[in-house]
Amino acid sequence: MQPSLSNYLLVGAVLFVCGVICMATKRNGIGVLMGVELVLNGANINFVAFSKFTALGLDGQVFSLFVIVLAAAEAAVALAIALNFYNNHLTIDVDRGNKLKG
Amino acid sequence: MFSELINNLIKETTGNGLNFFSAELWLSGTIVAMLLFRLFSLDRLVPTAFVGMIGAGLAVWYSFGQFQAIEADQSIVFFGGMLRQDLFSIYFRIFLSLFLILTIALTVLTGIPDNEDAPDFYSLLFGATIGMMLMASANNLLILFLGVEMASVPSYVMVGFLKGRKSSSEASLKYVVYGAGAAGVMLYGISLVAGVLGTGDMSLLADHLKVVSSGAAGLADPEVRTVALGVMLVMVGLAFKLSLVPFHFWCPDAFEGASAEVAGFLSVASKAGAFGLLVRFCIGLSGVPETAALMTAFGVALGAVAIVTVTFGNLAAYTQTNLKRLFAYSTIAHAGYMLMAVSAMLVMINSDQAAALSKEINYSIGGLLYYLAVYLFMNLGAFAVIALVRNYTFDEDISSFKGLMTQSPALAIGMAICIFSLIGMPPFGGFFAKLMIFASVYKAAGLHWFMYIVLAAGGLNTVFSLFYYVRILKAMFLEERPAEARKVSVPAVEGSYVLVLAAMVFLMGVLPGLANGLSSIANSAGSAVVSGK
Repeated sequence: MQPSLSNYLLVGAVLFVCGVICMATKRNGIGVLMGVELVLNGANINFVAFSKFTALGLDGQVFSLFVIVLAAAEAAVALAIALNFYNNHLTIDVDRGNKLKG
Repeated sequence: MFSELINNLIKETTGNGLNFFSAELWLSGTIVAMLLFRLFSLDRLVPTAFVGMIGAGLAVWYSFGQFQAIEADQSIVFFGGMLRQDLFSIYFRIFLSLFLILTIALTVLTGIPDNEDAPDFYSLLFGATIGMMLMASANNLLILFLGVEMASVPSYVMVGFLKGRKSSSEASLKYVVYGAGAAGVMLYGISLVAGVLGTGDMSLLADHLKVVSSGAAGLADPEVRTVALGVMLVMVGLAFKLSLVPFHFWCPDAFEGASAEVAGFLSVASKAGAFGLLVRFCIGLSGVPETAALMTAFGVALGAVAIVTVTFGNLAAYTQTNLKRLFAYSTIAHAGYMLMAVSAMLVMINSDQAAALSKEINYSIGGLLYYLAVYLFMNLGAFAVIALVRNYTFDEDISSFKGLMTQSPALAIGMAICIFSLIGMPPFGGFFAKLMIFASVYKAAGLHWFMYIVLAAGGLNTVFSLFYYVRILKAMFLEERPAEARKVSVPAVEGSYVLVLAAMVFLMGVLPGLANGLSSIANSAGSAVVSGK
């Protein structure tokens, strides 16, 4: 049996929800960033699935290629910032950053 | 066949694209030049800020050339439909590159990036500005995402640029975590919108929505519901960039942890780019009678968000003692005022009288653009004073401003003019900007009763905001400077920088030629973006 569009979208949605839950509950800075990667990849699965099944066509694959590159660039910057935070606080627990009362 | 394709691509790119993209290309070239200058130790001979200034000046020059070449209602897509060239995108290009020059001048005066770090800092500044220009000329959902990320990623780093400071690294970690999360959510929304509608082209969204929903576009249709969910998720990302309630929580923290120069840049430029993008996205979704009811509801919802944002920003600013934090909340409130214009535009453009109201629709976008232009000078002026005083007192608390008038009249008077304009008092520029926005909200109120509430909230909040701004004025002019407080002996060049910004705010209010000229350009930019559909 060939998987249909909604099967792919289901996988994408599960990844998205896992990522959002991960972002909301993890206190470790790196853990939060992993949640972001899950969300981005959930969207990527959607793009590729839509490009196979709908009028979006190759545009969808171009979208996902750009997103892969961007996710790598963003992760590099985010990890550098996490390292900077670690150097100043000796922890990457986001809750320990409590100097600013936001 | 293949060579024909390549030839067409080359013809399109060299004929139009490179010319329309020249400002961004000059900025990119400047980044490379600044980094190469350091590699060959040329930055000891030529200051990096000078190279940056030349690059930004060329970007202004080339955008101005585009401004003269384009006709009022012309709207051209280029780079394969990814970007759109019209008066609206040129307005933002000139606005952002002018702002870049002013920001570089400020950093030279305050000396925040030292000589070692200057190429890094200015590269980030330029990269973020290119991202914001892309946001304002986006014509595709892919560019929407790329532009937001290109503007955000350098901003995360700039917030954490004060090395070895706990608050700075904390601010940038919070900003990157929330920002990356919001961008991820926005991307998921884009995937739903683009997938269900079968296109990434923003100007085609409404037409495709009409086809997909087959006649009456109601929320009962599952595909329309999916698109509505996608649009909501996209709005999460945009609301984060605009610091609208409830996605504003990063803003005070990031501003307090960042240096005042970076906070000033973020509060003006990234708001401006995001508003350009929001206007394009909203116009892409509207203008088709079948979706009018849905889009009117969307506009009213934006109006409700604007009310909450303005009220929250003004109330929360009231208790702040740190000036950067206070101005962060003031920034949130001003984003709310500007959102009112977008909300009014959406309500008008999706009514059945849209054709008769076309002038008012242009006027609402024009009001937003005029507000942004005045906001550039008044908010940058305020942050410049904070940064300059900080260099003498090493303090950013409101108490460090006590008796500033006796120390440096230039800074105190410049700050006072900026604050009066932020409140919206005549005869300063901020008054006319607010007036234009409130006038278009009033027009929209004739079409939907809720806009009367938006108008009332805007008016009331203008009065509320008086109270916390007046605290700064009181500290500067009426209170005695404590004997142990450090002296603020500002050189003439620093004082005159602030006074020039303040003079622009004043002139935009009293010089009818300047105000009318700018607002008529803003109105035709508004008409260009509407007609580009």
